[in-house]
Amino acid sequence: MGLWHLNTVAPCLEYIDQGSCVPPPGPALWGPLGLTYNGELITCPKHYRQSTNWVANFFYEPGNDRIIAHIVLNTTYWPGWDVQRYEFNAEDGAWSNREEALARQAWIGIWGAAYTQKATMGSFNKIYACRNNETKIREVMWEYAEPATNGWWVDPYTWNPKSIYGYAVVNRIDNLLAAAANWTLDCWRTIGSTPERFAQLRLPNVLNYLAYESRNYCWVITQDGVICKADYQIPRWEMMSTVQNPEADALKYFITYDTKRKRVVVFRQRPDAADGACQHQLEFYYPMVAAGQLTQPVPVTSLKAGNRVILAAHLIGDAGEGVTPYTVEGEMEELVEGRLVTPFSGTELNGRVCFQYQAPEEACTETLKLKVTVEES
Amino acid sequence: MYEKLFESTKLAQPIQSGDSWQHLCYVSTWDAFLAQSGGEWSRVFRDGARVKFGKPSGSYAMLGRVKGFPAYWSQWTFKVHPAFEINGLPNPNEVLNPNWNIGYSLGPSSSSGKFIDDVNQVYLHQPSANRIDIYSLEDGRKVGEIVHNAGEYFAGIAWVQPGQVAGLCRTNGKVRIMDYLSSPRVLEIGRLDPFKVAAYDAAFHLFFAIGTDHKARVYCREAWPAVLSAPVFEPASIRGLKGNLVKARLTGQDGEPCPGWWVHWELADAGGGLRGCLDNYVTKTDEAGWAKSRYFGPDDNQPGPCKIKARVELS
Repeated sequence: MGLWHLNTVAPCLEYIDQGSCVPPPGPALWGPLGLTYNGELITCPKHYRQSTNWVANFFYEPGNDRIIAHIVLNTTYWPGWDVQRYEFNAEDGAWSNREEALARQAWIGIWGAAYTQKATMGSFNKIYACRNNETKIREVMWEYAEPATNGWWVDPYTWNPKSIYGYAVVNRIDNLLAAAANWTLDCWRTIGSTPERFAQLRLPNVLNYLAYESRNYCWVITQDGVICKADYQIPRWEMMSTVQNPEADALKYFITYDTKRKRVVVFRQRPDAADGACQHQLEFYYPMVAAGQLTQPVPVTSLKAGNRVILAAHLIGDAGEGVTPYTVEGEMEELVEGRLVTPFSGTELNGRVCFQYQAPEEACTETLKLKVTVEES
Repeated sequence: MYEKLFESTKLAQPIQSGDSWQHLCYVSTWDAFLAQSGGEWSRVFRDGARVKFGKPSGSYAMLGRVKGFPAYWSQWTFKVHPAFEINGLPNPNEVLNPNWNIGYSLGPSSSSGKFIDDVNQVYLHQPSANRIDIYSLEDGRKVGEIVHNAGEYFAGIAWVQPGQVAGLCRTNGKVRIMDYLSSPRVLEIGRLDPFKVAAYDAAFHLFFAIGTDHKARVYCREAWPAVLSAPVFEPASIRGLKGNLVKARLTGQDGEPCPGWWVHWELADAGGGLRGCLDNYVTKTDEAGWAKSRYFGPDDNQPGPCKIKARVELS
């Protein structure tokens, strides 16, 4: 299984436009524009009053059916930083609170963003997050990322072995917790009574974000855009794929799972454009087959005259995962001396297709072309 | 030398400059190869296509495992862990050697491959460049050895089929197929081009190697002919008006037999014209590499010189 790319919204949000820029070396702290922080943001050719410092939280909020991003910004206006809540329509990624955010009315306060990070949805459609100023994992408010009043919490630092996590998915129904600090996803059970770390999953790379899907599954995205699905109850890996077109300039990836539409949403944090414009994007994926490339057919039996030769190729996704079910067609190029016994072949679970070619009794050189038709997403 | 079926034009090399492959293993669920370098996990396909999906961590060293999946030895715990089928990553929740810790001196490295058969509870270790020792996983006792005389440590020991492994030498390219279970010994010898990493493809019984030039190469388990012996009669004395068995042997670089090749027989003038005839002018080599035909002397039953030529067309 892979991830079918549905659509991308790029850019998914905007910064407040200054409307003009100041030639280098840029504006003074005190000058004609008044008090101006982070003057480089409006030093030509840049002309926006905001820029992303870091993305604190990214999650699906089922109550409002929205994708939420809490972003800490560098700003030219007082006090030089801002924290805004960006809300996106979960259906199409449209920026729902554009006017509010550009009017700086989606302010959530610094403490939620500073102390609460990597929030994700969990049991009972609530939002849970690890904390920077304490070792607890708490239920938080989706609006402000502040701890919910009388909300649920656990403290893995009091468990055996003592643990401090940066990412966690909470399954209160089954008393399970899957949490990670960097390379390892720790799976805990009986977290309501006597917590026991019953298993671990080693991650394929440094973790960027963790997202809850269900009582069994969670999603992982690594710093290079590899997406994995894990069953944290067994535990085992279920799927591995990647974002489409992972680019070297992507700063970070964030992932969440839309439980209503059963699909993955990725927030790709990208550097600002030359003029300072925001280039972050939302990407929507459906967990299913997505063909990325068809490998070259390679003979896997002896190439003797008169032999029947088997050739194998693979239809794979962006992370090398096998793609099925597809039919791959084979065709010999002109000057055929032998015979292609298998004109088409269906992909197996690992994406493999095999073709049989009957070689003539004399030495020859032949070329097999493969073709597969993949529907457009 | 094994018959080379394919050489890629794609270069399968790690992304980071200075990085190089350390281990390679065939993963049957992918029908592709898991390659590990200092900074990269990748899937590599037979045509040299390479897809990076991660970065190694936790100081796990890969080794061969029964059924062809990789296993991982932890230098911190001396335990060997299996791999997840989906992504080939180490599964620290399972231990394949619960009763015996495999210490530093016995653990795998990128230059000396090891192999674990947790089904039959044995572990293969290389104490020298010419021998493999077989240990019991139950108590760490040495239970046998295989003297292979490859003259170089196997960079990888890969599963071939139940009870058999392939040892692969990186520099001299030597290959030894060995029985490690029923009667430990070398079953087959062969050779590949020198490589960086190599593995045995248990699905099609191939060798897959990534060379120092980063090209992927696929070899089948049939020796590529190097020597065709001069035809000899058996028995050596020839009798006229009778079918005299004549045979020639086709062998590889290291003397390994080349079965299934067509040998073309030809009578040549040795000074007295073409004398006699052959019953077959094209015959196939048998399992031992011998091709056989029969020579019939001339009808006049007079002695005279005669020359028989044998040749093989390689391409």
